[in-house]
Amino acid sequence: MTDQLGALTTIFTEFYYWVTVVLMFLIHVGFCMYEVGASRYKHHQHTLMKNTMLIPLVTVTWFFFGWWIYWAFPTGPGIAPSIMNESTALITDESTFSARWYVAASEYMAINLGDHISGVFWAAFLLFSWTAASIVSGAIIERITTFAFGILAIAIGSVFWTIDAAWGWHFDGWMLKILGYHDAYASGVIHAIAGGFALGVLCVLGPRIGKFSSSGEPRNIGPRNPWLVTVGLFLIYTGFWGFYAACNIPIFDLGPEYGMEGVTYWTATNIYVTPTTLSGITFNFLMSLSGGLLAGYWIAKGDPFWTYSSGLAGVICASAGNDLYHPIQAMIIGMIGVVIAYKLHYWVERKFKIDDAVGAVAVHGYAGFVGLVICGFVLNGYPSSGYSVGAMWDGTTYASINPLGQFLGAIIMFGVLGMLPGYVIAKVLHGMGKLRIPREVEIAGLDYEMMESAKSDEKAVSSATR
Amino acid sequence: MATVTNWIDHLSAEEVVGAVYPGAGGSEMTLVIIGIVLWLGWHVLTARSESEELSRLARKRHGANDHKSNITDW
Repeated sequence: MTDQLGALTTIFTEFYYWVTVVLMFLIHVGFCMYEVGASRYKHHQHTLMKNTMLIPLVTVTWFFFGWWIYWAFPTGPGIAPSIMNESTALITDESTFSARWYVAASEYMAINLGDHISGVFWAAFLLFSWTAASIVSGAIIERITTFAFGILAIAIGSVFWTIDAAWGWHFDGWMLKILGYHDAYASGVIHAIAGGFALGVLCVLGPRIGKFSSSGEPRNIGPRNPWLVTVGLFLIYTGFWGFYAACNIPIFDLGPEYGMEGVTYWTATNIYVTPTTLSGITFNFLMSLSGGLLAGYWIAKGDPFWTYSSGLAGVICASAGNDLYHPIQAMIIGMIGVVIAYKLHYWVERKFKIDDAVGAVAVHGYAGFVGLVICGFVLNGYPSSGYSVGAMWDGTTYASINPLGQFLGAIIMFGVLGMLPGYVIAKVLHGMGKLRIPREVEIAGLDYEMMESAKSDEKAVSSATR
Repeated sequence: MATVTNWIDHLSAEEVVGAVYPGAGGSEMTLVIIGIVLWLGWHVLTARSESEELSRLARKRHGANDHKSNITDW
């Protein structure tokens, strides 16, 4: 960096993403508190450690291959040509945004005086990865082995969500070009996929002992510590501010980027490099949160667990188009998402005997899916990219946002990259006898030996005289 | 091992080399292989100990409320 203005822009962008990472850390703190609060006393410590250990597992695999996948896979491969090299192959050439620079052994995956952005951008995406894995973690508490969860966390956190991000979030992604897919704050690329993945795992894993009566009636296993759940969800709300900011590019000159001769237009953009403002999305974040809370309080009759979760579901549902919606549109969309997610949760639970311990499939999966579909109608006709507007299925230009493209995108996120891999991997783990803890351990409690040991320590200390 | 031994020389070069970590330009692949071995090894070790723990606990066949006698007061 040799000129001061360029240096300021770069250092500002570097610091901006760094701050989003710190804020997003709170999402994970919140998820841990939430899960421990929702689990029963005899499973607390294992529940906490299961979610905590996804941090290193997803982080190291994100370093080894997850980040590379994001930059390599936007073309499919084989589905739509890259705008950088016009090839449909994996993007591993010498171009600026090639995956070549992000293999684990690259000199840019380390301290490099010539690169101030890769590390913080890598970390921002990594925190999205943690979130995806953590969403799955909550649904399957109290009966999955830590080993199986570790494999599933790596699969969703470092493989499948990063493929969907390459396809539907990358500025060069084939889903933008062919379907006109738009998902600015990740209704689909994080939430629908993680919710779908969790549902696929739950189909194989089965319910907790006692969840359903012999006649199949579901029983409520309420949170052991509702206050911890509450604080956890508040922390997730807080971390979501960082999530939203991290989905933007803070400062960008769109004139030369779009090839407009003599035009200079500095702005914040969304992940697709189309203009929005941090100020505008702040309106929409809070209004969709409010819509979710209002609808949740009403439909759950004031139940705190569902009301807090509904605030989150409201944001998640509006997230696909929160870069462009009017705040009242965001609020209404948030409300619609919550009502559908809540109703679907209990219908699926009763009909298919699915035990989603924290409502993660509903809050993230169903609300995310619905949010994508609604976005297709409300933003119908907007360009999905600033680079070149074309027709649907064209593939060489970018289709406009449209209802069919968004619906197909929702199916890809929730079903193809979410539920299907979750189901298949869980089946394999089940076949190996590694998926579920033994029945006797589930009854006794995962923490039995730890508690027994702590009691023994207590007795020894309390009887000591010196 | 040091990649940089004099910052003035390093930063005043015609083309400043960005990678300044120890072993830059030759050790990256070795480090990645070591990292992958550590990661996979962790899975093997922890999976083994978890299986042993679960089998041991399953054999004892504790009841659903037995853990309550182990709740500490301190």
